[in-house]
Amino acid sequence: MANTLRLYLSCIRNTLDAAMCLQNFPCQEVERHNKPEVELKTSPELLLNPILICRNEAEKCLIETSINSLRISLKVKQTDELENILTKKFLRFLSMRAEAFQVLRRKPVQGYDISFLITNYHCEELQKHKLIGFIIQFMEDIDKEISELKLSVNTRGRLVATEFLKQFI
Amino acid sequence: MILLQSSSKFLLQTLLNRVNNLEKAVELDYQWVEFGDVRYHIQVTMKNPQYLSLSVSLPIPPPETIFYGGLPVGALEAIKAAYIGIVQILDPPRDGFNLTLKLNLSKLPAQDEQRQVLLVKIASVREVVLGAPLAVVLRSLSSKTVSPNLNQLVAIVHRPKESFFVLPQAEKVTVIFPMRFKDSIDTILATSFLQELIEARRSAGLQNAPLCSWSLSPPPELKEVPAEALSANAGFVTFVIYPRHVEGKKLEKTVWSLSTFHAYASYHVKCSEGFMHSRMRRRVDSLIQALDRAKPDSEASMGTGQSKSFKGLSLKDSRTNSSS
Repeated sequence: MANTLRLYLSCIRNTLDAAMCLQNFPCQEVERHNKPEVELKTSPELLLNPILICRNEAEKCLIETSINSLRISLKVKQTDELENILTKKFLRFLSMRAEAFQVLRRKPVQGYDISFLITNYHCEELQKHKLIGFIIQFMEDIDKEISELKLSVNTRGRLVATEFLKQFI
Repeated sequence: MILLQSSSKFLLQTLLNRVNNLEKAVELDYQWVEFGDVRYHIQVTMKNPQYLSLSVSLPIPPPETIFYGGLPVGALEAIKAAYIGIVQILDPPRDGFNLTLKLNLSKLPAQDEQRQVLLVKIASVREVVLGAPLAVVLRSLSSKTVSPNLNQLVAIVHRPKESFFVLPQAEKVTVIFPMRFKDSIDTILATSFLQELIEARRSAGLQNAPLCSWSLSPPPELKEVPAEALSANAGFVTFVIYPRHVEGKKLEKTVWSLSTFHAYASYHVKCSEGFMHSRMRRRVDSLIQALDRAKPDSEASMGTGQSKSFKGLSLKDSRTNSSS
């Protein structure tokens, strides 16, 4: 299992490495505007083909590229209701703090759990390989955090239940 | 604190304060709510500082639960038995409350230990009043007398417009809780908690604990209950209590833990949500740090920091040079 995760992540890393060659590109329609083309999709010649990387049905990563921006959308695996609620809670918590993350999108793309939007300005400000490293670490951390949260909820439940039943003995 | 204490901490603290400063006349008028269902009101007047009036407002009962004179079955007898001598029940109770007790603080036992025990008992008024109907059923189980309402389902209120069900049978009592939660996240967390309860029951150390089961659909015992009382979004928990769980002193404890089972579950659901939030906050911090590391100027700013201190040194040096 750990092996397939590594392959999945390294595939994303390599794809991002290739896709993240962004340049400054002012808007073609409106003067003095400079907007991420991947969001506006004004002219098809500025967009590249989106890439979908799937680990399995429930876990996938969509990378959409344009001339001056790049959008990464992640779908995190949710095997049961508890995991679903924990993922939702955690990712909402992160999206609400999108300001602090710069590259995080406030709302995920439809059908995904969380999205990043990287523009050419981010690439100028941040080192490219470290930015990719951050996204990979982010994905690893989310997985880890959710499984730990789930474990802690279950451990707490067990402890609480044991203490409750001990009262009767 | 994993288990809930049967005495209301605030009430106990207020009583202790009052008892320790009895000669000082003060005006007290406090109101507070416990577990979101029981409301307390306490009042002391300047005129009669040795009297304290304590009012309790119980959750509104659903239609299937029977209340006699605003109190659950057997509550009046339980209060009389528990607080004989120092408590007077006022009739009618204060407006908006189900029960008003008048305590004569000057009649408390002089010995510290006895007094403490009695004050704790007064602070556990919730247990005495709300637990009374359950205590009646369990007492007849422990004394092995045939309960008058054998095989008849009894509904006991435990939350506003919600009640749990008790089915006295020969040699055992079945207690069934329909679990309801308002929030969808609470519901899912509680469901996983309740499933853990069943798992925990199977472990080796708890073979003597009451049998418990959890199901999403109402158990067969609740056939006769009207459907609106059975809308539980977190399933039904059933405990089977045998005489060994209510022997002697265990009775009180069992009554308390059963009658506050919902409060206990929801308390721990809230606790684990709080824990999750503090964890998530920590995780956000560590992720922001990871992103900050991607900034190329982080090393550069360290460099300028050094050069600044170097500059400062050189300025000082130059000053000392000029003065000398």
